[in-house]
Amino acid sequence: MTDDMPVWAEGLVKTFGGTPAVRGVSLSVPRGMIYGVLGPNGAGKTTTLRMVLGIIDPDAGERTLLGHADPRKVSHRVGYLPEERGLYPAMKAREAIAFMGALRGLDWATGRKRAGEMMEASGLGYAVDRKIRQMSKGMAQLVQLLGSIVHQPELIVLDEPFSGLDPVNQEHLEALVRSEQDRGATILFSTHVMSHAERLCERIAVIAGGQRRFEGTVDDARGLLPMQAQYVPCDRAAEAGALLPADARFDGRTWRFQVPDGGAEPMLLSLISAGHGIAGLSMQRPGLHDAFVRIVSDAKRADAEAQA
Amino acid sequence: MSAFTRQALVVARRDFTAVVATPTFLLFLLAPLFMILMSLLGLTGAAQIADTSQDKTRIGIIATPSDGPFLVAADARLRTMLPREIQPPKLDLIPPHGPNSAAVAQVLLAQPDPNFVAILYGPLEKPTILKEDGRRSIYLATLAEQALRDRKAGIAPGTQLSHAQTTDRKVTTASASSKHATGYAAVFGIFFLTLLLAGQSVGMLAEEKSNKVIEILAAAAPLEAVFLGKLIGMFGVALLFVSFWAGLAGVAIALSASFIPLPPIAAAVGLPTFLVLCALYFTMAFMLLGAIFLGVGAQASTMREIQMMSLPITIFQVAMFGLSSAAAGAPESGLARFAEIFPFSSPFAMAARAANEPEIWPHLVALGWQGLWVAITIWITAGLFRRGVLKSGPGLLSFLRRKR
Repeated sequence: MTDDMPVWAEGLVKTFGGTPAVRGVSLSVPRGMIYGVLGPNGAGKTTTLRMVLGIIDPDAGERTLLGHADPRKVSHRVGYLPEERGLYPAMKAREAIAFMGALRGLDWATGRKRAGEMMEASGLGYAVDRKIRQMSKGMAQLVQLLGSIVHQPELIVLDEPFSGLDPVNQEHLEALVRSEQDRGATILFSTHVMSHAERLCERIAVIAGGQRRFEGTVDDARGLLPMQAQYVPCDRAAEAGALLPADARFDGRTWRFQVPDGGAEPMLLSLISAGHGIAGLSMQRPGLHDAFVRIVSDAKRADAEAQA
Repeated sequence: MSAFTRQALVVARRDFTAVVATPTFLLFLLAPLFMILMSLLGLTGAAQIADTSQDKTRIGIIATPSDGPFLVAADARLRTMLPREIQPPKLDLIPPHGPNSAAVAQVLLAQPDPNFVAILYGPLEKPTILKEDGRRSIYLATLAEQALRDRKAGIAPGTQLSHAQTTDRKVTTASASSKHATGYAAVFGIFFLTLLLAGQSVGMLAEEKSNKVIEILAAAAPLEAVFLGKLIGMFGVALLFVSFWAGLAGVAIALSASFIPLPPIAAAVGLPTFLVLCALYFTMAFMLLGAIFLGVGAQASTMREIQMMSLPITIFQVAMFGLSSAAAGAPESGLARFAEIFPFSSPFAMAARAANEPEIWPHLVALGWQGLWVAITIWITAGLFRRGVLKSGPGLLSFLRRKR
C-alpha cells in the first residue's frame, strides 16, 4: 500500500473455470525483506504471485506493487523468475540475459556487459556464448535467474526457484538471494521446501487451499507447536511413563513427549522425587517442516468441516 | 520513447534476429528462386513437348502447280498477322491426284506422321476442307480466298503493293485499361506478398508457448506490446525479403530493358506516389492480416492445430483478394467502395484505387482507418490470448456488461 510495502495485497480471489484457486489471500511484504510464500502443491502460491505481478487479474481484491495499483506500470523495477522456466533455446546465454533486461528497460549493451560479469561471478563465465539448448537444466535455470535480476530490480519475485537445482546450485542460489538483499532488493519467493525458507526468510506466509493460513516469522510458525522433549531416566525407566504426559513414547531407553503448557519443571521435579533421576534431557522447538505440516493439516481439516 | 514502444521493439528485435540469423532463413529468402526455377523447368518441358508435337502437325492443301505459289504467298502474308502462339501449323502443298483427292485427303488425315489436322482439296472457287481441328479449316478457307483473289487480280505471288511506314506516338495520358491492369497488378502483388509473408505469423507464438517464455514476456510487458513487437519483427523479415527481391528484379529489369519491352504502368496518382502508397498498403495488409493470423495461431497449442488453422486463414486471404480484384476491375462501383471500406480488403482495394483515381485524400483516410483496425485487431487478439492461454481477463459477456 505504501512505499514501505513493495508488495501489498488484500483479499485476492481467482477462479479458473468455476474452480477457486485463490480465496481471499492477503500479503504485505516489507521493504528489504526476504519473504517466503509457502504452501503445498496446488495451494495457490503461483496464482497469487501472478496476480501480484499483474500477469493475471484477480476476480476480486486489491493489490499494489511498489506502491502502484497497476503492477505493469512498475514492471521495469521488478524481477521475476516464473515457476515454469522458459528461455529461447537458440539464444546465447549472454543474449538471453540481455534480452530479459531489455524487456525491463535496460539497454542491450549494458545488459550484455552485466550478463558477462554476472555469469563470471556465478562460475558460468565459460558459457556466456553458449546456446541455451547446449546447457544443462540447472545452468539454464541460473541463466534465467540472472536474466530476472540483470536490471537490478527493487523487488525480486521467485516462484519455486530451488526446484530442479542440485545442492551445490541451491547453495549458490541462496547466496545470490542474500547478495541481492544486501544490494537493497526485496525478495518474495515461493517454495514448498521448508529448509530454504527456514534459512532465508525473515517472514513467511503459508497458503493452503487457496487461503492464507499463517503469516509471521519462522519462529512464530515454529512457536505454534509445543516444545519437544527427550528424557532418559537413570533408574526404572519404563515406570517413569506414569509421571509423563499421556502422549509420551518410550523406545526402551528414551522417552519422547511434548512439553505441557505449564512447562517441564514441575514434571521433572516429580520424576526426581520419585527416584527416576535424569540421565539425559533435551528440549527443542519443532522445525518449520513440522509447523508447516500442522498448519496445512489444520487447514484441510477446517475446509473439510466447513464443506460438511 | 514510451515503455510500450520500447518493449514492442525489444520483442521485434529478438524475433527478427531469431528468424534472420538462421540457415533456414536463406532457404526462405531463396524460395522464390526455387519457384522460378521450377516454373522455368516446367515451361521449358511444356514448350518442348508442344514444339515436338508442332513439328509433326501440318495443314495441307492438295493444289495444282499453278495455284501453289499463290497459296504459299498468301500463307506467308497471313502468318505475319498472327502472334506466334496462335499461328496454324506448317502448310504442306500436296500434288493433286485427280478425282481421288478426297480419298488421298482421308488417307493423309489418318496417318500419324506428318499429322495433318486439316486438308483442303478441290478447286479454290469451291474447295472442300476435311478437318480434325475447326480453327484450322477457317484458316485454310481464308488462304483459298486470298490466293484466288490474287490470282484473279493478276497479282504475282510475293508482290508487295503497299509499303507502310510506322511511327511510334508518345503516350501522354494513360488509358483506362492500363490503369485497371496496374490496379490489378498492385492487388495481386500485395496479395501475393502478404500470402507469402504474413501467413508466417500464424505459428509465431508457438515457440513462446512451448518454451514457456510467454510467462516472462507477459510479466515484463503488456501482451499488446508483445503482439505488436512480433508483428514488427516479422514485418522486418518481410521487408528484408521484399528488398532483396525488389533489388534483384530492379537489376534484371535494368539489364533487360533494352531488349524486353516493359508492360505499361499507369497510375492515376502518378507513379512515385503510387509506389509509396503500394508500400504503405502492403504494410497495412501485412499488419492487419498478420495480426489476425497471430491471434488465431496463438489459440493453438500444437503444430497440428496451427496447420489446421492455416486453411481457413488462406481461404480468408483469397476471399479478400477476390473482393479486391473485382474492385480493381470496376472502380467507382459499389463493390469497389465496399472493398475499400471493409478493413481487411481495404489495403488491396485502395492500392487499386490509387491506380484508377487521382485523389490523394481518400488514401490518407484509408491509412488512418486501417491503422485503427490494426490496433483493434491486436487488442482483440491479445485479449483472446490472455483469456485463452493465461486464463485471465474478462469474458466477452462481462466486458459488454461493463461497457453498458
